[in-house]
Amino acid sequence: MTPFRYERASDAVSAVALLAAAPNGAFLGGGTNLVDLMKLEVLTPDVLVDVRCLTSDRIEDLPDGGLRIGAAMPNSDLAADRRIRQRYPLLAEALLAGASGQLRNLATTGGNLLQRTRCVYFQDVTTPCNKRAPGAGCSAREGYHRALAILGTSEACIATHPSDMAVALAALDAVVRTQGPHGEREIPLVELHRLPGDEPQRDTVLEHGELITAVDLPPLALAAHSCYRKVRDRASYAFALVSVAAALDVADGVVRDVRLALGGVAPKPWRATTAEGVLRGAPATEDTFRRAADAELADAQPLPGNAFKVPLARRTLVAVLRDLTEERS
Amino acid sequence: MLREAADGWPSAVSADLTAEHVTLDDDEIRERMSGNLCRCAAYANIVPAIAEVAGVAEAREVAR
Repeated sequence: MTPFRYERASDAVSAVALLAAAPNGAFLGGGTNLVDLMKLEVLTPDVLVDVRCLTSDRIEDLPDGGLRIGAAMPNSDLAADRRIRQRYPLLAEALLAGASGQLRNLATTGGNLLQRTRCVYFQDVTTPCNKRAPGAGCSAREGYHRALAILGTSEACIATHPSDMAVALAALDAVVRTQGPHGEREIPLVELHRLPGDEPQRDTVLEHGELITAVDLPPLALAAHSCYRKVRDRASYAFALVSVAAALDVADGVVRDVRLALGGVAPKPWRATTAEGVLRGAPATEDTFRRAADAELADAQPLPGNAFKVPLARRTLVAVLRDLTEERS
Repeated sequence: MLREAADGWPSAVSADLTAEHVTLDDDEIRERMSGNLCRCAAYANIVPAIAEVAGVAEAREVAR
């Protein structure tokens, strides 16, 4: 591990100022991903600014009926919160499907969003990787594809975003609140993460020194009827090959409203707006569900080692929509 | 792990997320032990040992 300096700040504004003045520094939350990457020397920050105690670690009720989740709230506490379990079950299920109890106890809400890809080539400093060393080339394209993306990829990078929580938040139209060198701003969760294009080293639209302070969940009645389904190589403690976050409102056999997002298939939590468009107002039948899944996956660019993800994502989407429809009737 | 179950925290295998009580059956014990640093987390003899300590061993026998 490369030596680094450890800094504590008295509040979020001074933490942002500290990091803005340290171009090679990083914020430290739970450290469940950052510290691993530092041990591998994938990341070599010269200073860590500890932000674990600078933002709220609780959930606050918002006047509009939504919830504000403090950035320092541990993943385990968020999954266990009764309001989340009752009003946003897809979010509780996504959290519980991720990592392990020990990791969820330490990992924060803000840190979960900013975790890096688990692409094996990104994590192996002996192989070229455009995300780790821009311009070096991509080892994954001619390598092992099983965990890699089929949607939203570029010539430079085919890595997937590993978070389960973020997929549920994408479906919920969550909003990320930040404190940056130029003040506060709100970013829709679906716009937080970038597609790689020719700058795969930039995972998000955040500028250097910009700190996530909270995540807002808007009130969404149909979220009470929702689920998160994760398909993986092991029954537990593994990243998603494909996952689906879905909330569905069916009345008189017709889809009144729907929220859908996919995980494990793209460089960012993939909000399935194309499928949602096919579903809204259409009969809640297996045929509609298949058409919606096919429309969403029409632009998929699979590689030999992950072509299985196209039919797997299709079947998982259809099964989740069917189960949510049957539970309701 | 036992404290979380006693507090009614659900896991990825809990059928009802909003249930007040968690029944620590074999699936719950395995899931809750799955991230244990020692990878023998849920070996054959560890699951009944945990059930015994949790005081659910009797229910586990009846369920067989």
